[in-house]
Amino acid sequence: MEANRYLRPATLQEAYQILSEDAKNVLLGGGLWLKKATPSANALVDLSALGLDDIKDLGDAIEVGAMVSLRDFELSPLLKNIQGGILIEAVSQIMGVAFRNGATIGGSVAGRFPFSDIITPLLALETKVVFYPYKEMSLKDFLSFKGRVSDILTHIVIKKSKGPSFFKKVKTTALDFAVINVAIAKVNEEYRIAIGSRPSVASLTIKAMELANNGQKLTEELIAKVAELTSEELVFASTGSASAEYRKVLAKTYVKRGLEEVSK
Amino acid sequence: MKVNFNLNGQNVSYDINPGEYLADTLRSHSFLSVKKACDEAACGACTVLLDGRPILSCSYLSARAEGKNVTTVEAVQDDVDEISNFFADEGADQCGFCNTGLALTIFALRKELKNPTDEDIKHFVVGNLCRCSGYQAQFKAIKKYLEAHK
Repeated sequence: MEANRYLRPATLQEAYQILSEDAKNVLLGGGLWLKKATPSANALVDLSALGLDDIKDLGDAIEVGAMVSLRDFELSPLLKNIQGGILIEAVSQIMGVAFRNGATIGGSVAGRFPFSDIITPLLALETKVVFYPYKEMSLKDFLSFKGRVSDILTHIVIKKSKGPSFFKKVKTTALDFAVINVAIAKVNEEYRIAIGSRPSVASLTIKAMELANNGQKLTEELIAKVAELTSEELVFASTGSASAEYRKVLAKTYVKRGLEEVSK
Repeated sequence: MKVNFNLNGQNVSYDINPGEYLADTLRSHSFLSVKKACDEAACGACTVLLDGRPILSCSYLSARAEGKNVTTVEAVQDDVDEISNFFADEGADQCGFCNTGLALTIFALRKELKNPTDEDIKHFVVGNLCRCSGYQAQFKAIKKYLEAHK
């Protein structure tokens, strides 16, 4: 790609300053989609000297630095214990090992990629995103935030939770983007359902979750209603890989199967 | 700009453009074992090892290799010969274009995973595409190579 400069700032303040100077100064994550998304830049700003590649146990949550590779994320014993390992199951289905050694969790989340397989389960859990200059918000709010975020994503914080979970990536071959992905987690007796790659970025199914969590026992009949509501509540669209109707059927099917599994 | 890294055991210092990718840098210095096929992080042909771990050099900025160890097949010739022989025995070779990237991935797999299951092996090599052969013969060859190193 075309770039005038490559910079590896020593502080976040310096990185932020460089990014503020010129809209054509580009923040690097892993850089795997860089040449497709950004054919030219003034300066490429690399955060790899800032110690953002740690995974820390905060007690009630796990803090993951933005520069942690998807492969290190996948191999982390700390993340394996969260909600039956749903995050590991999802991240290990993203491309191959060499890709995941390069790609970063920060790049994956900050990019708000509609096809992301990791955003969907992170949304089904309680996840916060932390930026420099200091600001934090829920992943849910970040995903629905309109416009460009010019701050630097430094960490994601995933609340520890235990309980059953379900993840399904529907794909045509091992290395394809998801036609759709579905993540369901039962967190503190509450069902959380997220669906991504519809093809827009992952969303929680608010109305369907309300119905699933209204205090009634999740019977076969109620599960069918929740699944139906999911497919009505969210917007599905057609792309070259799948029609909106097909995505809708997939969403309904896998929400049903997922709820059957996690409510056992 | 300059980038300094260790390439196959030797310290090198190369002139690069800030937006240059490692596959291009290596190929411009005659490391033509590093293949470029999809050039968009999808096929695995450009795989090299960075500090012992496989990465896609077509999508890794050369500037980021500063101070790191980069390995191509030239540095692990004995292992690659051995892998090639297992491939030949199983008839897994056809055009051979994907072989160098795959060989490095298999070498890294052996170093990283102890007693891998069939699923572990498939999971590790899934990013290396081969458009000639299907994957059964390659899979058998990989298993025999790993078996020989137990």
